[in-house]
This record gives sequence, structure tokens and C-alpha cells, in this order.
Amino acid sequence: MTDTIAQSRIDLAATPAWKGWTRPGRATEVDIRLSVDTATRATLDVVAGRQVVRASLDLEPGRIVRLQVPIESAEAVAVSALSPAAPPQRREIRIAHSESPLLGVGLVTGDPVHLDGFHTVALDAADLPRNASAYASIDSLILDAPTLGALDERQLGALLVHAAECGRILLLNVDPRVRRVLDEAGGCGGRTLMNAASIADAKEMLKLSLAASMLPVTALPGIGELARPDHGTWNRVLIILAVYFAAAALAAIFFSSLPVLLLVPALATVAMLALLHFMQLSPQLGVWSEAASGMHTARYQAWQRFSGLTRGRTRVSVLPQFASARPCDPKQAMRFDFDASLGRATTAEFDTRLFRPISLCYSGSFPVARTIAIDAGPDGLLHVRNTGSMGWRKGVLLAGGLVHELPALGPGGDAVIHSRSGKSFRDNVVRTAMVRTQTDGAAALWELDLGSVADSPLQSTGWLLVSIPPP
Amino acid sequence: MNEAPAHRLAAMSGLALAAATAVWWLGSTRLALDHGTDAGAFADHALKALLLVRALALAMVSVRVGALRGWRPGVMAGLGLIAPAWPVVVLAWSAGTRSAIHVALAEVLLLAGSVALPMIGLGLRRLLRKAELAVVTATLLGTALMALTWVTRGFW
Repeated sequence: MTDTIAQSRIDLAATPAWKGWTRPGRATEVDIRLSVDTATRATLDVVAGRQVVRASLDLEPGRIVRLQVPIESAEAVAVSALSPAAPPQRREIRIAHSESPLLGVGLVTGDPVHLDGFHTVALDAADLPRNASAYASIDSLILDAPTLGALDERQLGALLVHAAECGRILLLNVDPRVRRVLDEAGGCGGRTLMNAASIADAKEMLKLSLAASMLPVTALPGIGELARPDHGTWNRVLIILAVYFAAAALAAIFFSSLPVLLLVPALATVAMLALLHFMQLSPQLGVWSEAASGMHTARYQAWQRFSGLTRGRTRVSVLPQFASARPCDPKQAMRFDFDASLGRATTAEFDTRLFRPISLCYSGSFPVARTIAIDAGPDGLLHVRNTGSMGWRKGVLLAGGLVHELPALGPGGDAVIHSRSGKSFRDNVVRTAMVRTQTDGAAALWELDLGSVADSPLQSTGWLLVSIPPP
Repeated sequence: MNEAPAHRLAAMSGLALAAATAVWWLGSTRLALDHGTDAGAFADHALKALLLVRALALAMVSVRVGALRGWRPGVMAGLGLIAPAWPVVVLAWSAGTRSAIHVALAEVLLLAGSVALPMIGLGLRRLLRKAELAVVTATLLGTALMALTWVTRGFW
């Protein structure tokens, strides 16, 4: 046995995406390769800042296990593998944080590309990530046809998601068929996905793109702007304490025996601990998504909030339909269990305490079909038409700083809305929608049906804001 | 004042101290929740305030009642002062960052104080023989202990 342990060995290699470059506070990815000479089970830990990603792996001799783990922003990432049959292995990766915007350049020719104000990172196909969230590390990307052709299926998938999320991508001499596929996936009306014939053209197009206003690319609203503070726990604690003080005051008035006066707080203490332990509070799920009229994809930001009750560890399921799970508060210590076969985190574990809600944030994109046209008629009438191929449910129309009811319309359907009939009533959601609507434009807001989201909590709300260009 | 009203008064005082701290803590927590900030610091402050206020009250009451009425009434008055805050202590600990050992140790020290301080009062009475002098001395000693507790509060 001792000999076996002495001979067994785990080969561990870890490579960061983007040649180890990222921006402060942005997510990236680590590509990890593991191999062994004896069949064993190993635990892989990836520690980045206050977050740990853990994966349990069955390793077999002659088979290289490879996994790409998305990580939060950190200057050093520690990757370690522990196995009962082999000595532990540990690798430390340094992640360079660029203060300047990053320009990723994947050209097989290796031609130098320099863009004013940008830090250029020369890339091979292997340097591109498999998780779309890792694209947050770079600000612009130039890829030529051979580099694009060398990407594997998962890398292409991540690139398509990045294109759908309005990532600024410039393709150089790419085959028209491939270009068409990417064009169809591109978000923001294809304004951020560009094609060029030469490096000089590419640089010029990037400069023009950077100079243009890209309203939809602005960050989506956060949980703080949309979610109301959860006072459920606070209200319960207030009631519990009020009941206790009333009971203790009555005991002090009617009983003069010391054991009774001691028993009341002692029993109340035990009862409160038990109540906190057994009290069940349903987590909340909120989704905010945005698209422009006629676009194929909507970007979303989702958050899953867990109310803290007791001191201890809490383990929760990561919602599989949503991408890029991470703690909403980057300072929050959290451990994710990573399923290597699925290529994503399945559970999250974190410390909780009373009055400390912990939120998991998600972001990504989903397909959408909403095409709306508005014509402003005389007498303050708005002529709203569904010019798309899909119908829509009843929603809300935001125009001229007022909130109007938007009727359900089938494909080709239309409705007339009196612009003066709108209300100025604004809750958190409508206020956020108003802030994110161009002053001279309009937007439609629908509540999302989250019933199909697996493991979605009872308290789930989701919104889709579709901006309508000014007539 | 007989023995029962004495510890009833102490229990009511303890209850009032605990209620006042709880109101302050819950109010601060509500504001923190509304502003999306961490409420843990307020829970830690509430724990410290509860410990400090009860230690100060104990220093004054226990020695004095011990000198005036003897050890047992002193212990009862001390327990009446510190016990009503236990539920608030448990809730504040659940919301705070202090370790359970730290909080439990503080409560054990308060319990030890409620047992030991009346003994000092009783000792003064036996030493000085005169009840009035013993009570005055106990009050002065209690005030000195309160001052010492206040001055050393930063070390807790």
C-alpha cells in the first residue's frame, strides 16, 4: 500500500484564459487538466479571492480530465488536487489586471495590432474561454478565420453567447456562411458584431464602434435598484421579542418567585433559538431582462435571494436555467460545487446569519421575439402595432414619461392608446424601466412567466423591457 | 422594601434595559436593511451594550444589596438584572459576528459577578459592623467598580 501511494502521482496543469489577462472586478476562467497513473477519486479546489469552486472527480489512468472553471476577479488563483492515493498537488496562477481596456487579438499571422487606449493581448484559439461569463475580461475582440475555425464547440458556444450579449467582436476575412450564423446570433442589432477585410479596416471599424453610443450595452440594473428590502425576518423577530417582553413583564408583575422570573427568559431563549432554526423562509427570485424591438435575444440579470435566519452554513441549488452564477456581493465568501460532466456549478454554500440576506446573481441571454412599432398620430394618439410574427401578452407601455396599459396583441395586431391617458404611478420596476428608456423613445414592459424555471422559488418575479426606437 | 419586591424591581429594571437595547438594535437593523448595508455591526454593538449596561448595573446593585440585605437577596437581584436580556443576547448573537464562546463567556462572567459581588457587600457589613456605614461603603465600592468597568470596556 505504501509503495502504491509512493508511486501514484497526479499531474495537474492550470492555464488562465486570455493569456492570464483580465480587468479588475471582471470574471475570467481557468482551464484545468488532470491525469493520473492509478485510478483514484480526487477533489479539485479552485480558490479565487473569497470564492472556492470544488469538483469531485473520478480519475482513470490514461485519461486526461479537463475542465474550465469560471472564476471571479482575483490576482492569484490557487488550484489544488487532493486524492487519498497520491500526494496533494497545488498550482498557483497569477492573473494580470489591466487598468486599460483589453483588446484580444486572435490572428494566426501574429500581426501586431495597436489601438489607442487599449492593452492588446495576442491570443491563440486555446486562450479563448468556454464560459461566456469569462468574456467579461476583455472589452473588444478581433478574430481571423483560422483562429475562429480552430475553436472547439464550447468555445464557439461561448462566443455566440458573447455576441448575443452585445460583446464587441470584429471578424477578419471570415467565411460568409460562418458570418451569417454569427450575425443571426449577434445582439444589439448586430452593431457590435463587425466584419472587416483587413487589419486597418478592423481598427477603423473598432474606433467607429467605440465612438458610437451603445445604450443597450450599459450594465443591467442590479438587485439594489429593483428588489425591495425583505422585512419578513425583521417583522417576525419584532413580534417574537414583543411577545417575550410582554410575557416577562406579566411574569414580573404577577409572580414574585425568582425561579419563575428566571425561567421565563431561559425558556424564551431556548424557544427563540428553536424558532429561528425551524423557521422556513422561501428564497426570492428576480429577473430583469432587456431587448430592443426586433432583436432575437434579450440580456438578463437574475438574482436569487436567501434570507438569513441562523448562524451556520447554508447549501442551496444553483438554478440550472440561468448562466454565470456568482455571489452578488463579490466580498461574500462562497463555495460552489462544480459538476465536471455538466460544466457548471450545481450548488452553492455560504455562511448565514440573522438579518443577512445572501444573493446569488446570474446573467446571460435568452431568445426573444418582440417587434413593436409606434406611430404618434394627431390629437396625442399613439398607434401601436405588433409587427413581429409572435403575439404578446398584456403589458405596460412607457411613453412620454407616462405609463399606459398595453393590450395583448397577436401578430399584425394594432391598438390606439391616448398618450394623455397614461398614469404617472411608478413602483420600483416601472421607475427602473423609465430610467432605462430613452427620453425621446418608448418601451414596453412585460412580466415574465418564470413557471418553467426548475427549482424556482415561490416568490419569483421577472420583467422584460423592450425598447422601441423613436418614430 | 422586602426581599420579593427587591428582586422584582431588579427583574423589571433588567427587562427595561433589555427592551431599550432591543428597540435600538431592531431600529438600526431596519435602517441597515432598508439601505442594503450589513446589519451585523449593529448586532455586535447591541451585544456589547447589553454586556456593558448589565455589568454596570450589577456592580452597583449587587454590592449594595449584599451589604443591605445579605448574600442571597444580592444574588437574586443580580440574576433578576441579567437574565431578562438572554433572549435579546441570543438573537443579537445570531445576527452578529461575535463567536458563541465569546458571548457565552461574557454571560458566565456576569453570572459569576452576580454570585461574587453580594459576597463583597456581605463582607463589608460584617467587617464594618454598622449597617449604614456598610451601605455607604458598598455604594462607593459599587461606583468604583462601575467606573472600572466603564474605563476597561475597550478590552472586552
